[in-house]
Amino acid sequence: MDPSGLIPVADSIPTHWGWFYFFLILTFILHLLLMNTMLGTGIISLVRHIKKSNAPCPVCKDISIKLPYKIAFTINFGVAPLLFLQVLYGQFHYVSSIMMGVYWLSVVGILIIMYYSAYIYDFKYDQWPGLRLYFLALMVVLALVIAFFFSNNMTIMLNPEKWTGYFDNRSGTMLNFGDPTLIPRYLHFVVASIAVGGLFMAITWKFKQDPEATLYIDQGMNWFSYATLVQIGVGLWFLISLPQEIMLLFMGGSTLHTGIFLLGLLGVTMILVFGFKKMVWPTTAGLVLTVTFMVLMRDLVRNAYLAQYYHPSERTVVPEYAPLFIFLVVFILGLGAVAYMLKLAFEAGKEA
Amino acid sequence: MNYPVWELYTLGGGFWIALIAVVHVFVAHFAIGGGLFLVLTEKKGYRENSRQILDYTKKHAKFFMLLTLVFGAVTGVGIWFAISLVSPAATSRLIHTFVYFWAIEWVFFMAEIIAIFVYYYTFGKMQRDKHMLVGWLYFVFAWMSLFMINGIIAFMLSPGAWLETGNVWHAFFNPTFWPALFFRTFIALMLAGLYGFVTSSLIKDQDFREKMIRYCAKWLILPLAFLIISGFWYLSAVPEDAKAMILGRSPEIVPFFRAFIWLSIIILLGGLVFSIRMPGSIKRPLAFVLLFIGLLYMGSFEWMREAGRRPYVIYEYMYSNSIPVIMEQEINEKGILTLARWVENRELTEENMVQAGREIYNLQCSSCHSLDGPLNDIRPMTAKFGLYGMDSMLNGIGKLYDYMPRFMGTRQERLALAHYIVEDIHGKKIKESVPIETPAFEFDIPPFDPDRDEYVLLAWNNLGLKCITDCDDYWSLLPPGNTLFAQLIRRDFLPEIVLDGVVITYKVQEGFENPADHVAFWDYSESLIGIELPRNISKSGLGMQGEFKLNDELMAFIASGIPVVPYADDGTINPCPFIHVEAVDKNTGEVLARTKTVAPVSAEMGCKTCHGGEWRVQGRMGISAETASDVLRLHDKRNKTDLMTRAQAGNPVLCQSCHPDPLLNATGDPELLNMPAALHGFHVHYLTERQGAEACNACHPSDPDSLTDCKRGVHATTINLDCTSCHGTLEDHTLTLLKGEYEKGKTERAGRLMKHIQPRLVASLDEINPRTPWHQQPDCLTCHQDFGIPRSHEVSAFNVWNEHESELYRLRSDYMGLMCQSCHGATHAEYPAVNKYGLDRDNVQPMQYQGEPYAIGANNNCAVCHTMDMDFEAHHPGMLDGTRNRRGPN
Repeated sequence: MDPSGLIPVADSIPTHWGWFYFFLILTFILHLLLMNTMLGTGIISLVRHIKKSNAPCPVCKDISIKLPYKIAFTINFGVAPLLFLQVLYGQFHYVSSIMMGVYWLSVVGILIIMYYSAYIYDFKYDQWPGLRLYFLALMVVLALVIAFFFSNNMTIMLNPEKWTGYFDNRSGTMLNFGDPTLIPRYLHFVVASIAVGGLFMAITWKFKQDPEATLYIDQGMNWFSYATLVQIGVGLWFLISLPQEIMLLFMGGSTLHTGIFLLGLLGVTMILVFGFKKMVWPTTAGLVLTVTFMVLMRDLVRNAYLAQYYHPSERTVVPEYAPLFIFLVVFILGLGAVAYMLKLAFEAGKEA
Repeated sequence: MNYPVWELYTLGGGFWIALIAVVHVFVAHFAIGGGLFLVLTEKKGYRENSRQILDYTKKHAKFFMLLTLVFGAVTGVGIWFAISLVSPAATSRLIHTFVYFWAIEWVFFMAEIIAIFVYYYTFGKMQRDKHMLVGWLYFVFAWMSLFMINGIIAFMLSPGAWLETGNVWHAFFNPTFWPALFFRTFIALMLAGLYGFVTSSLIKDQDFREKMIRYCAKWLILPLAFLIISGFWYLSAVPEDAKAMILGRSPEIVPFFRAFIWLSIIILLGGLVFSIRMPGSIKRPLAFVLLFIGLLYMGSFEWMREAGRRPYVIYEYMYSNSIPVIMEQEINEKGILTLARWVENRELTEENMVQAGREIYNLQCSSCHSLDGPLNDIRPMTAKFGLYGMDSMLNGIGKLYDYMPRFMGTRQERLALAHYIVEDIHGKKIKESVPIETPAFEFDIPPFDPDRDEYVLLAWNNLGLKCITDCDDYWSLLPPGNTLFAQLIRRDFLPEIVLDGVVITYKVQEGFENPADHVAFWDYSESLIGIELPRNISKSGLGMQGEFKLNDELMAFIASGIPVVPYADDGTINPCPFIHVEAVDKNTGEVLARTKTVAPVSAEMGCKTCHGGEWRVQGRMGISAETASDVLRLHDKRNKTDLMTRAQAGNPVLCQSCHPDPLLNATGDPELLNMPAALHGFHVHYLTERQGAEACNACHPSDPDSLTDCKRGVHATTINLDCTSCHGTLEDHTLTLLKGEYEKGKTERAGRLMKHIQPRLVASLDEINPRTPWHQQPDCLTCHQDFGIPRSHEVSAFNVWNEHESELYRLRSDYMGLMCQSCHGATHAEYPAVNKYGLDRDNVQPMQYQGEPYAIGANNNCAVCHTMDMDFEAHHPGMLDGTRNRRGPN
C-alpha cells in the first residue's frame, strides 16, 4: 500500500508557516532544557540518595524543593511545542498517537502520579527520610516511561511506511521497537538530561553561600562533563542508526545539514572543554547554543524523513494575522507580569 | 475519514473524553473561582485582623495549588490527548483555526502558574498589598484563560457566522460565547464555595469552622440565582435544533437536564443545611458528599452541552464521527470505503462483507457507541435486529431523530455494516429466506345447476385481505372484523337484484367459531374500544354466524364486522377460512341460493423485522409480546406517551383512540396525523429506495413467499404487477397521505415527516396529489381507460384518486346496480386469483356458476344471470371482448 495514501489531508494554516516553525523550535528548546533539568536533577538526587543511604543530602534537599516547579514549567513549556507541532505536522502526529493510543493516553495518568510523587518527595523530605527515596524513584521511573512513549510517538510519525502496521493492530498498542533509531534517540534525551541536571546543580550552588558549595559545583560539573562524553557516543549511535540517505545529508550530503551538525559538534567540543574546566557560565552559554543546534538538526532529520511526502512550506495559508499579533502583545504583557511577580517574590524572600 | 480509528470498543463512544473532561472542568472552574476566593478571603483576614482566617487561607492556598496545578492542569492536557486520539479531524480543525488563541491561553497559564507559586510561597512573607495584588493577578489570568477556552468550546456548539464567513472572530465571539462565559464564571464562584466547604470542615476550632463554612456557603448560594439566569440566556443563544434537543427532543438528554434542575435545588438546600451547626465528624464527610454533588452538577451541565451538539462535533460543519458535512453527498455516491483513507477493504465482495462492515462501523459509529461499555452500548441497541431489520434501521437513522448523523455510503456498504453488527457483534447466522410451505386445504365448490337454479348469490369479502393485530394485551391497531357484501340475483332475461323478502345469512367455516379463544381482543375490548363485548361478537354486534343487513343505496346486503381470525380451534393457521352464505326466503324459509366466500384475515404483519421477537403463533404468524412491547416502548420514548405502563396495568390502547382513521370511523385526536399517515410517514424513513414491492413486503403480508401472500389477484399473478404499479413506491404512497394531512392544516406534524422524503414516481412534491386514506384509492379506470386494455404493461395508476368514497372499486356499481366486486372479486384477489391454500379458493363463485375462474359472465357467459347470451354491453363497455387473462399458456 502506498503510504502517501494514508497521510491525512492537512488543514490550512492562518499565517506563514515560518511563524509556527519559529515558535515550535523556540518553545521546544525551552521545553527540552526544562525537561532535562527536571529529569537530570531527579536522577542525580536519586543516585545520591542511594549512595548515601539516608544521610543528609543538601543537594537533594535543594533539588526536592525545586522539582515541582521544574515539572510545572516542563509541562507548561511542553504544551507549547505540542501545539505548534500539531499545526505543522498534525497529520502525522495524530496518526502516530492513535497507533499507540493506549500508551499515549496513559501518559496523562502517569504524569499526574509522577507529579504528585515529586510533591510528596518535596513536602515529606524531612519527615520521611526512608520513604522519600521511593517517591523520588517513582517520579524518575515514570518520567523515563513518559519520555519513552514520546520517543515512540515522534518516530512513528516520521515513518509512514510503518503505518500499515495499523491494519494488524487497531487497538492502539503499537510501539516502534522495530525502528533502529528509537533506543539511541531515547537515550540521547535521557543522557542529555543527566548532563543538564549536573550543570543545573552547579548553577544552583553558584548562588548559594554554603561551605560545601564549591564541592557541589564541582560534582555538578562532573556529572555534566561525563554525561556529555557519553552523549557523544550515544549521539553518534543515533546518527548512524538513521536511514543511510538521511545520515549522509549530515556527513557532507547537504551543506545546510552538515553545517548545522558541525556547529553542533563545535558546541559539544566547547562545552566539554568548559565543562571539564568547571567554567559554569561559559558551559551554560555553550549548552544553550548546542541544544539549539541539536534541535535544529533534529528538525532537519524530521523533514528529511518526510521529504518525499511533505514539507511545512507547502501548506495552504488562509491569512488571519490579527490573532498572532494579539498573541505577541499578550505574551509581552504576560512576560512583564511574570517579571513583576518574580520581582515581588524575590524581594519578599529577601525581607523574610 | 482521514485518520485511523482506535478500536476501543468497551471504553469507546467518547468515554475517555467524558471522564477526563468532566473531572477536569470540575477542578478547572474551581481554579478560577477559587482564585477570587483566595484573595477575597485573605482580604477578609486583614480586614478582621484575623490570624485564623489568614492561616486558613494559606492552608487553602496549598490545597488549591496542589489540586489545580497538578490534577487540574494535567487533566486539561489529558482532554487534548483524548480528543486528538478519538476525534483527530475535529481537533485538527480547532487547532488550525484557533492556534494563536490557544497560544494566548498558554501565556495566561504560564502567568497563572507563576502567580500561584508566588502567592503560596510568599504568603505571610510578602507585604500585604503586594501579596493581594499577586492574588488578584492570579485570578485575572485564570479568568482570562477561561475567556480563551470558552470561545473555542462555545464555537463547537454555535459556530455562528463562521460557517458562512470563515472569519475567526466570528468563530471566537460566537452566539453562545458571552452567555457561556457568564455561566461558567458563576459556576466557578459556586465551586469555590463547595471546595471551601471541604477545607473549612477540616478546621479544628468549631466556632471558627462554622464561621468559615457560612462564609463559603455565601460563595455557593449567592451566585446560584445568577447562574440560573445566565443559564436561560445560554439556552436562548444555542442553535434552534440543539436547543430543541436539550429541551427534550433527544430523550437521552432529558435525565441530565432534569438532574441539573434537581441538583440546583439540592445544592441550594445542601448549602443551607451545611451552614447549620453540626459536629465536625458529620461535616467532614458531608462536605465530600456535597463536593461529589457538585461534580454531578458540573457533569450534568457539560453532558447537556455536549449531547445537545449532536449529531455534530462542530455544529453544522463536522459530524460527531468526524465526517465533514460537505462530504455527505459524495460519500453517498462514491462510498465511504472509497473515500476514507485508512481502509483495508475498499471493494465489497461476498467474503469480506463483515470485515468491511467492521471498518465502516469504526468510521461512522464507534465515535459515539461503545461495545459492552458504559456509553451508548451498541449491543443492546441492536440486539433485536436481523439483517434486514438492521439494514432498514441504518436506512432511517439520523432522519427523524437527528441527534445522530445519517448513514453515509452506498447501499452495499450499509448492508455490509448490517452484516457486521448482526453476524459479528451478535453472532447471529444469516438465514436464507425460504419460501414457506403451505398446505392445500381441501374444499368443494357449492353446486349450481344452470338449467334449474333460479338465483345466483354473489358474496365477497370487501377487502382482499383484512389484517388484524393480535397483540391486544399490548395494543390494537386492527381489531378483528371482516366485512362481507352480497347481492342476490334472480336469473332471467332481465335479471333482478333481489332486495326484499329475503334474508341473507352467513356462517363461518367450522373450527373458526371461537376467535376469542385465539386472540385476546375480547379480554381487553373494554379498554381498547370502550365496550365490554360478549365473546366472539364484534363491535357491530355480529358474531361468527348471523344475518346480512340491506343497504338500499348500494343495493347490496352487508355483514360488517365479522370478527374472524386465522386461527382454527384445531390449531391450524388458515388465513382464508370460508364463510358460508345463504339466501333464504323470508316468508317460506326456503333456501334460494347458497355459496361461500373466503373471509381473508391475517396477522402476519412484519413488525418483528425491526421490533424484534418471533411470530406469536407456532412460529408462523402473529405479533408476539416481545414485538408488541418494543413498539410501545419506542412509541413512549419518541412521543412521550405512557402506553406501556397502561398496557402493563391491563389497559391497552387502540391506536385509533388517538390517531384518526377512516377505516374504523375513528375521530381520535384531530390534531394528530391519521393512522395511515402516521404509520407510513414514520416508517418510510427506514425503507427508502427499495425496488418493487420490497418495502411493502416488509410490513404487509404481500410477499409471495410469505404465509399469507395477500396480493393474489389477476394483476399480481397473471399480469405480474406489484403494489407500486397502483400505489406508488413507499415514498410516493406516504407523501400522498402526508400531503393530505398537511393541506388539512397539520403542517408541523406532517411537515416534519415529509422533510426527508422525496417522491420517486413524480418529479416533485408539488405534483403529488394528496388523498384521504381508505376514501381515496387508485382506480381501475386510470389504466383501463374506457374499461379497455391498458396502453402498455408500464402504466401506473398512482397519483390519480377518486373524489368521493362512493367511487371506490369496492363501493362502486355498474350501470345496472351490480357492484363491481360481485363479478370481479375482491380487491387484490380479482378473478382469476391464485390462492396458496388451494388454487381456486378465492374463485369459488366463478367456479360455481360457470366452471371457470374468471369474472362472472366472462367469455360472453351472460347466461349465468341472464339465462341466455346477450349482445349489448349494458354493464360496462368492453365486456363482450372476451377474457384476456386466461390461465395456462396464452
